[in-house]
Amino acid sequence: MNSGIGRASLATLVVATTFLYLPIVVLAVFSFNDSDLMAFPLSGFTLKWYGELAGNDAFHAGFVTSTLVAQPVGLIGMAVGLAAALALTAPGLKWRLGFAALVLLPFLVPKSVLSIAQAMVMSRVGLERGAVALVLAQALVVVPFTTVMIASVLVRIDPRLDEAARDLGATPWQSFRLVMLPQLKGALAGAYSVGVILSLADLTIAMFLAGRTQPLSLMVASEFRRELRPDLNAMQVAVLALTVAIVAASELYRRRRGRRRAAPAARAATAPMEAAP
Amino acid sequence: MRMPAIPLGRRHLALPVAAVLVAGCVVPLAVLVVFSFFVVEDFELLPAFSGRAWYELATTASYWWLIGKAVLSGVAAAVFTALAGYPVALALAGVPASWKGVGVVVLLTPLYTGEIVRIYAWRIVLGSEGLVNAVLEGLGLAAEPVKWLLFTPFTTALVLTYNNLPFMVLAIWVSVEMVDRRLIEAARDLGARPFQAFVKVTLPLTTPGLAAGVFAVFALAAGEMLTPSLLGGTSGQTAMAMIDTLFGTAFDWPMASALALGLLAALFAGAAGLAFALMRLDGARAVLARTTR
Repeated sequence: MNSGIGRASLATLVVATTFLYLPIVVLAVFSFNDSDLMAFPLSGFTLKWYGELAGNDAFHAGFVTSTLVAQPVGLIGMAVGLAAALALTAPGLKWRLGFAALVLLPFLVPKSVLSIAQAMVMSRVGLERGAVALVLAQALVVVPFTTVMIASVLVRIDPRLDEAARDLGATPWQSFRLVMLPQLKGALAGAYSVGVILSLADLTIAMFLAGRTQPLSLMVASEFRRELRPDLNAMQVAVLALTVAIVAASELYRRRRGRRRAAPAARAATAPMEAAP
Repeated sequence: MRMPAIPLGRRHLALPVAAVLVAGCVVPLAVLVVFSFFVVEDFELLPAFSGRAWYELATTASYWWLIGKAVLSGVAAAVFTALAGYPVALALAGVPASWKGVGVVVLLTPLYTGEIVRIYAWRIVLGSEGLVNAVLEGLGLAAEPVKWLLFTPFTTALVLTYNNLPFMVLAIWVSVEMVDRRLIEAARDLGARPFQAFVKVTLPLTTPGLAAGVFAVFALAAGEMLTPSLLGGTSGQTAMAMIDTLFGTAFDWPMASALALGLLAALFAGAAGLAFALMRLDGARAVLARTTR
């Protein structure tokens, strides 16, 4: 077990990965299959479903709507997550456990229950269901994810770096901007992309709060209640490719930053220990 | 001389964040409580103090059954993801450190696919001309398409397990990584076989992670409405779909609120019960280990 990975572990991981990716792969295969029916055996390779997708204006509109909704969700989710993570990991926070529970609440209350409660409140205070309501509700549901992502990086940042900056005369804001932020950039990029992705993937909240706004997921859901169609496969694959691209980009960014920062940060972190008596 | 310390620190950011979460999450839930005591007259929601909705919730068998079904599917998802997820978490913990990052990405990426993509994909996999039936018939294991793969409680349980497996694996994995390897080595040195070392050392030490995973997966799966209603067939009527009908079509907001709160209470009670049972199980095992030494 000490040298590399055991055979049983490898088999487990292969089986698990197969299970997780099987539906996605099947979907992708049928998006290139030359038949109206999603049935085996496969009948030949075609790109015509992607061609139909390219000509479908309704889907384009839905895609634009989804993308436009996802940006503010990503930004708000990232900002609130950063504030929550800074507070959660700060020394001297009272009620830490209670605050953590509050931050995790949108994750634990079913999205459907939360959305219907929000819909009731909004209709009473006169806020129309629509893009704004959708953005606010999605951003709230994203907060637990972004907070955990950012906090997990924050706890690894040596608090002495902040103290050192402050001792050298930096204001809290300067210390945050010049010492903390450079180390947090990767986590922030990750949090932003998770917000965007969760917004693109959401259907439940949209069902209750989108009003007349029609994101892609809602359009697909109403089409798909009737039938399975190969051009819908092509669209799902296209959305999936976009998602993977976002994940890969933010992961690469995080790693590059991580490597570049690791050396000086490690030196800075060990320096005080060497200097200590 | 240093400036006097500014009284505002990082921890004070908790206040605005808490305000946002209270406004977006706690207030709507509290409003549900208030609305559940209101009455509806001529399609208008009127403030009153009526126990009608709660009385109906308590006395109507179909509401109980819908809430019970949500709890059942949550339990099924929690048990199946725990059984499937534990070996995966152990295997991931054994992966060389440089590959762990890749492991996380591989594990999490399917989680990012939209709800509708997953449901759609499973319909293709499990359909009567889908992948599973094609394989079964190709191998001669089935003469005609197996029908119960789709639109049955089996489908719901399978897809709920699929949707939540990554959450369970992550929760267990984190606590497996924190187990001190030297404890396992010590157990092995003292003659424990790998399985014994797992049961007596690793499993008890990772119970908190397992409990966290069970808690989260239960709450997520029991509250889901799309998978049961789009893949569960006639059995897929959910409490949430009922709430949606009461809210939208029937305009019975008090009843919708009471049912939503009943569901929520059952979910939290169920999740807490499961997590608590796990902790107790851990304690029982410790006692057992001591007495059978």
